[in-house]
Amino acid sequence: MSLTAIGAAIAAFTGIGAGIGISLATAKATDAVARQPEADGKIMRLLILGCALAEATAIYGFVVAIMIILFS
Amino acid sequence: MKEMLNELLMADKTLIHVPFGNGFFDIYKSVVVSWIVLAILIVMIVALTSNLKVHNISKRQAAVESAVLWIRGVVGELLGEEAIGYAPYIVTVLIFIAFSNMIGLIGLVPPTMDLNVTLALSLMSIVLVELAGIIKKGPKKWLKSFTEPMAVITFMNVLELFIRPLSLCMRLFGNILGATVIMELIKHVVPIILPAALSIYFDIFDGCIQAYVFCFLTSLYIKEAVE
Repeated sequence: MSLTAIGAAIAAFTGIGAGIGISLATAKATDAVARQPEADGKIMRLLILGCALAEATAIYGFVVAIMIILFS
Repeated sequence: MKEMLNELLMADKTLIHVPFGNGFFDIYKSVVVSWIVLAILIVMIVALTSNLKVHNISKRQAAVESAVLWIRGVVGELLGEEAIGYAPYIVTVLIFIAFSNMIGLIGLVPPTMDLNVTLALSLMSIVLVELAGIIKKGPKKWLKSFTEPMAVITFMNVLELFIRPLSLCMRLFGNILGATVIMELIKHVVPIILPAALSIYFDIFDGCIQAYVFCFLTSLYIKEAVE
């Protein structure tokens, strides 16, 4: 059981990548809106797309962690 | 932890056994809950759109009109001029997913927590995307579009046919499952007050965002296919 828990914890480390990705995207989007406030609709859409794609990696890690716990 | 996950994922999902042939035809819980969602939506639609007038409109009609215009504007902007005809389907899926994600508020299990439901939704999306490409370009040009921009990249383009629905389905399923697991954990630790506050985030906000992301990606693919 203990090794299973460690495996699931390692799978949960995918969250680091997603966190860094989303924070970078948000920082750049804030910059862009500050520079060109009239384009915020387009920037918002691109930001949501980028966040969705970056967040998918964290979701994959979560699914893998659940699989490890369930099927070990 | 493992018991809780087993209870959420591995439990027998069958609710109704219908005798069929010499066995049983099982109806899953998620199907019954999505019937409930559909019933709520149909009642809302009938109640909101009955008795519409051209002149001297009621407050209810004004609210419905502005909501419809707003959501049509949002989706139309995503789809672009050429694919605007697909907006009704996208809006339907958006409303259905948003309501199914929020059904947890009245104590039911969200149907989008079942992998079969999200898989069906994403298969519908990818079939619509490819059909939109075929209708727009014709079968020959559609087949040819797999070899663009280079012939070497054909394999990647064909692979994308399978990756897109898989990622759509896994994203929705994983998000809703993750939110439910976290809510269950919190309910174990602090049974009062805190779950109510957090369910605003996990049930309402996250559910709406995921419905929006699903429709956003679908309409992006459609826009790409008809270009």
